Amino acid sequence: MSGIKTCVSLYSLQDEYLNKRMGFLEIMKFLKDNGVEGFEILPDQMLHGAPHLSDETLKMWDTAIAETGLKPVIADIFLNTNLYKNRTLTKKECVDLLVDEVKMAKRLGIPLLRLVSMVPGYVLESLLPYLEEYQVTVALEIHAAMAFDIPQTRDFVAEMKRLDSPYIGLVIDTGIFCRKFPRVTKEYSIATGVNPEIFEYIEDVFAKGKDMHMIKNENHGKYPADFTKLLKTELDHMFAATADGYENLPYEVMDEHLPYIKHFHFKLYEMIADVKEVLPTPEEMLPNPLEYSMKYDEILKYLDSKGYTGYVSTEYEGNRFTLPGHPMREKEQVLAHQNYIRMCLKEIMSSKLDLG
Amino acid sequence: MFDNNVFIENSCKNVTEHGVVTGYELQTHITYYRGIPMSMVDNIRVEEDGNEVERPAIRISTDKTDWFTLDEAETVTTYKWEYGEPLFIRVMKEKGLCPGKHTIKLTIATRTAYIPVPLTGIREETVFI
Repeated sequence: MSGIKTCVSLYSLQDEYLNKRMGFLEIMKFLKDNGVEGFEILPDQMLHGAPHLSDETLKMWDTAIAETGLKPVIADIFLNTNLYKNRTLTKKECVDLLVDEVKMAKRLGIPLLRLVSMVPGYVLESLLPYLEEYQVTVALEIHAAMAFDIPQTRDFVAEMKRLDSPYIGLVIDTGIFCRKFPRVTKEYSIATGVNPEIFEYIEDVFAKGKDMHMIKNENHGKYPADFTKLLKTELDHMFAATADGYENLPYEVMDEHLPYIKHFHFKLYEMIADVKEVLPTPEEMLPNPLEYSMKYDEILKYLDSKGYTGYVSTEYEGNRFTLPGHPMREKEQVLAHQNYIRMCLKEIMSSKLDLG
Repeated sequence: MFDNNVFIENSCKNVTEHGVVTGYELQTHITYYRGIPMSMVDNIRVEEDGNEVERPAIRISTDKTDWFTLDEAETVTTYKWEYGEPLFIRVMKEKGLCPGKHTIKLTIATRTAYIPVPLTGIREETVFI
């Protein structure tokens, strides 16, 4: 039996919320009605005033939890180290801000906080007594372009290991396991004027089992000349600045960190139906669901084989690559992805029963 | 990347205070996926019929009660621009926009907690006064 549990990040439904097609309670009911058990929230996105919540907001939260029975699995929090334009926050200011987030999590009944990438490891020792007092865990997000190889993550991981507390860990964003560059990103970028040749280059890199972050690292932190010659406009350069945000790492990169992994963001750029590569219709679940860039059957088999029993959370990001005037398919994509994960887990269980 | 969030449709109109038109106002959603303190608004630019509005003429507010210049906003940490809620932008201009058709281009840049460059969104709208 696989102990892996699933949930949905409300990040996935941000456009529904932004444009007021759905409020917080409606989103929660939508998830409940579709068999979702847990959820992940960005308090800064859907809870006004976070982390200093008003009685009104707390009442809304309590009502939503009571009416849906959904489990609040994790909250994604941010550390505004650049709160001011002219300086970076001091360590004391950083810790003070994080303590407020920990207190909020306790009140909301959320046991785990995802710290955004680049949160400095030096806050951990001062924060730890509060984590123990409030029984809240913090976990740094390991995100593409800001994964295990960058100095800030290495520092955090070293401090995490030194302190070796059950209240400190990691959240893995599966955007580090892209096997193909997301098609939605490519199509959106080309439609907005980015040079299409850039994507021929990137797709060739991925076809060779690499990614743009790797290519940069191999070239002393800069894109090589055969790539930069394709950057002809300011828009091309702006795109290139984010082109390394999709990595193509082996799953084994997690091996040494497994005891510290508390949660997964199962990144979703685009659900497709097998080789036809068509979008799902709102009316039906996909017969042979796949995610365009990541192979979740492989990821889940790896995690199950390692005995992971935490949550994996659908995090739809294709919404930001929807062209103006085109329909936003957040709800359909989320449900299709949940269906896909459930099918993968079912298959893992079936294969174990067969073996048994 | 967050261009879709910029410049809420049909939000641009002249502002009348004490019977006098003192400028024009427009609204925008945030170029980010979460709310931030006002101090993290990195920059706002307004282009009116191809002409850049001077920075000191711009005021911003989250509640339409307390207004800040862009320089003042750099230290405003207790007013939060919430995700899903508009930021109100005023351009102080005697008599506001004259009646007729105008092209207004709005650029919004916000600082994030982890990306070294601000997240910028741009949208141009045709406005009728």
